Amino acid sequence: MVRFSFAVLLLGARILGHASAQQPATANAKPPVDVPQLFATTCGWCHSDGGRVAGKGPQLMDSQRTDDFIRTRIKIGKEGAMPAFGSALSDTDIDAIVHYIRALKPEQG
Amino acid sequence: MRNKQDVALGLMLAVGAVVAAVPGHAQPVDTGRIAAGSPNDWLTYRGAYNGWNYSGLDQINASTVKDLSVAWLHVPGRSTRGLQSVPLVADGVLYYTGSYSRVFALNGATGQVIWSYFPELDDMLVARQTHSPYNRGAALGQGKVFVGTVDGRLIALDMKTGKVAWDTKLQDSQKLTVGFTGAPLYAKGTVVIGSQGGEWPGRGPIYGVDAETGKVKWTFLTVAPTDEEKKSWGNDSWRTGGGGGWMPGTYDPGTNTLYWGTANPAPLYDWSGADWKTSGARPGDNLYTSSVIGLDIDTGKLKFYHQELPHDAWDFDSAVGEFVTIDRDGQKYIVHPNKSGFIFVYDSNLKVKNVYPIVDAINFVKTINPQTGELVGRRDFAAGKQAAPLCPAISGGVSWNSGSYNPKTGMYYKIGNEWCITLDVVKTTPVTEPAAQLNIGANFKLVPPPEGQIYGHLDARDPITGAKKWEVRYPEPPMASVLSTAGNLVFVPDSRGILHAYSADTGGELWNHSDGLGHQGGIMSYAVNGKQYIAVVAGFGGMVSDDYAPTFGEPYKSMPRDDGILVVYALK
Repeated sequence: MVRFSFAVLLLGARILGHASAQQPATANAKPPVDVPQLFATTCGWCHSDGGRVAGKGPQLMDSQRTDDFIRTRIKIGKEGAMPAFGSALSDTDIDAIVHYIRALKPEQG
Repeated sequence: MRNKQDVALGLMLAVGAVVAAVPGHAQPVDTGRIAAGSPNDWLTYRGAYNGWNYSGLDQINASTVKDLSVAWLHVPGRSTRGLQSVPLVADGVLYYTGSYSRVFALNGATGQVIWSYFPELDDMLVARQTHSPYNRGAALGQGKVFVGTVDGRLIALDMKTGKVAWDTKLQDSQKLTVGFTGAPLYAKGTVVIGSQGGEWPGRGPIYGVDAETGKVKWTFLTVAPTDEEKKSWGNDSWRTGGGGGWMPGTYDPGTNTLYWGTANPAPLYDWSGADWKTSGARPGDNLYTSSVIGLDIDTGKLKFYHQELPHDAWDFDSAVGEFVTIDRDGQKYIVHPNKSGFIFVYDSNLKVKNVYPIVDAINFVKTINPQTGELVGRRDFAAGKQAAPLCPAISGGVSWNSGSYNPKTGMYYKIGNEWCITLDVVKTTPVTEPAAQLNIGANFKLVPPPEGQIYGHLDARDPITGAKKWEVRYPEPPMASVLSTAGNLVFVPDSRGILHAYSADTGGELWNHSDGLGHQGGIMSYAVNGKQYIAVVAGFGGMVSDDYAPTFGEPYKSMPRDDGILVVYALK
């Protein structure tokens, strides 16, 4: 159920992100990032439990940081703490991650 | 041919032993000298090829240790994620590395800088890396100091001047985002270094490089080196990779064998359930991940291996862990810890002779058969949230910090970690093209074992049988290596920053001192002009220790993770 909600949000994020970035759609366009999978493969090592609790990195759920701060931190990272993902993730991808973070809720059960 | 080699080696060992008895008389650091393991020096990562992490010096002993105090300090600067290396000493000169592969040569008696070398790294690449920019040490040999870099290079420096002798690009780190953090190993004209690689879609190469020229002699792929091993990776899953020999192994001059441990396959956590041989992310055994391998050092050809964890579904590398070589009753044993918290005992052909656990918090298997090494009652996950936590945690029942074998007590001193993680296994799309992505395959968080609290312990055990003689507990697992000495001492640098000295016989604490920063690197001993020193690096931060602040609070909450210091002790 939670994942479904994320998927809806992400779809929204894709549309909004692509519109705002005015990127032309091509046959070879990189598919949009699946944020829950991205957390399960990469982000979750430091942002534990899908970002719901603090680990090596801070808890992301209920973050008081602004969207711009989060976007910038994802793009350029922080030396010795957070890798820079600006070359791996598009602005659209990063917007989707911000949406994911804002939608995080405690897990049921 | 072998007989001739043995005779030659015997002569080299004899010469090495004599030379080492003359402090300050510089002789080439070669295979014979490293194998002999002179007590005045510390010529390779774990002291000598025997992997003992042991000093034969006894000036600092159970009676005199009360007078141990700081002799000198050195601050390397820019210690992002702390200091994680083991200093080396040859002929009174101490060599050590810091973050970003900074290398220093210091006067071992005074700390005076003889030379320093700061390589220019690819900063943009380093900024993209997750397991970076720490460095765990150097190697010595043929008048050179060898160090790896996180941007995929192996560099040789002149021992006397620090000038670059050669600088070889081994790894396409731009593509893979991984390079080298572990120390190289020098033996028989070859410098061996293993790539990072448990979490990335590479094939975890181990490189053998000519020490004189820097040219690559051989490359061994730890993931499916031939079509035969590809059969152990169903659905071409070898492309998702893993492996990587990210910590140094060792060398046996008697058999010309290089022993090395390899990392886990990717993704770390599979969703196959019990049908892991035919389904899931990477069906099959996944050779040669989570294995110990024996290679011919001249050719890099595989001689034999043992896969400690076939189809590792828990991220319990064999890349961690020393190879402790012990002769007992005419039988040669090799003792090797696995990240799972089990200790494997082998003969010199890596045939299993015994297996025993040193931690209680283990539930990824019911046990491991001590006669065969077979995993019994393994726990393979289907996708979804797991009802019970996985023990030990992703950081391991043992980590990459070395234990110590003391031939005088016959005991093996080793740190065990008691912790677990909750686990939600996620069925992910195969990651075959490296980007900035790791390939974990789950969400998790660190939790205490079901039976109680997180803690760490130093065990004194018989290395072959595993029988425990004594134990010392710590509220947080120590992440630094252990040193034992002929002075009947065991030194444990703990995570809070306290260096402890215990009686090797009883485990009774005899002395301690604060180094001001958590320890997560090496400790060693050497002598200059008849005076014994203990050198330890302090400085916290990294893939394991970054969990300490949120888990334990103070002193980790306020402990810097971008600082470091080399502390050298001697008797007052």
